[in-house]
Amino acid sequence: MPDPTSPTPAGSQSNPIRDAIAEAIAQNEVILFMKGTPEAPACGFSARTVAALQALDARFAAVDILPDPRIRQELSALSNWPTIPQLFVGGELVGGCDIVIEMYQSGELAQVLGIEAAVGPAAPLVDPGEPLTPPLTQIENRLG
Amino acid sequence: MPTAEEIKQRIEAAIPGATADVEDYTGTGDHFRATVTAEVFAGRSRLEQHRLVYDVFGAEIGGAIHALSLKTQSAQVSVPTP
Repeated sequence: MPDPTSPTPAGSQSNPIRDAIAEAIAQNEVILFMKGTPEAPACGFSARTVAALQALDARFAAVDILPDPRIRQELSALSNWPTIPQLFVGGELVGGCDIVIEMYQSGELAQVLGIEAAVGPAAPLVDPGEPLTPPLTQIENRLG
Repeated sequence: MPTAEEIKQRIEAAIPGATADVEDYTGTGDHFRATVTAEVFAGRSRLEQHRLVYDVFGAEIGGAIHALSLKTQSAQVSVPTP
């Protein structure tokens, strides 16, 4: 007899990857889904997005989508966005590389992150240096 | 593999009143940069504007079109004279 106090899943198929992604987005104020890691980005777009966050000294969680192609698939289905990287703040998609860089240059990124940035044009992005980020969220390890 | 010209044509055909400047920036036919100007972008967030362009290509993004970098605007931004 099912426990009446626990909700039964809507469908008969669970989707642990989608659930892990949704949970990661809900649990991390700032989270970047990218190719590679902040220490070793695997693509230029991901590298530039990381550089913008690091230029602002932002704390963020990072998820490497490369280990499992299903991560990207489920993420895109969830966010309705086709490309990587994807930056989420406060549970909402902010955008990909182009949008994040535009917002960095206009000062909007600092605002969205709640960071007090210096008045004036944003510093030009340089190659990422020492990472300040918390450890990677290993989605694939959460599948048990 | 699409050409920059084809990508331009498809964007302009799909988004009413749009003009698109598209560049193949690696010369390998799969990394493109597009600046798209369209009145329909007015009042929409950057996310919505970019989605309108990405939707033109659907599943090709990340496939045949490995990268499509976007800049969108609702009107030609004129450089202010000093």
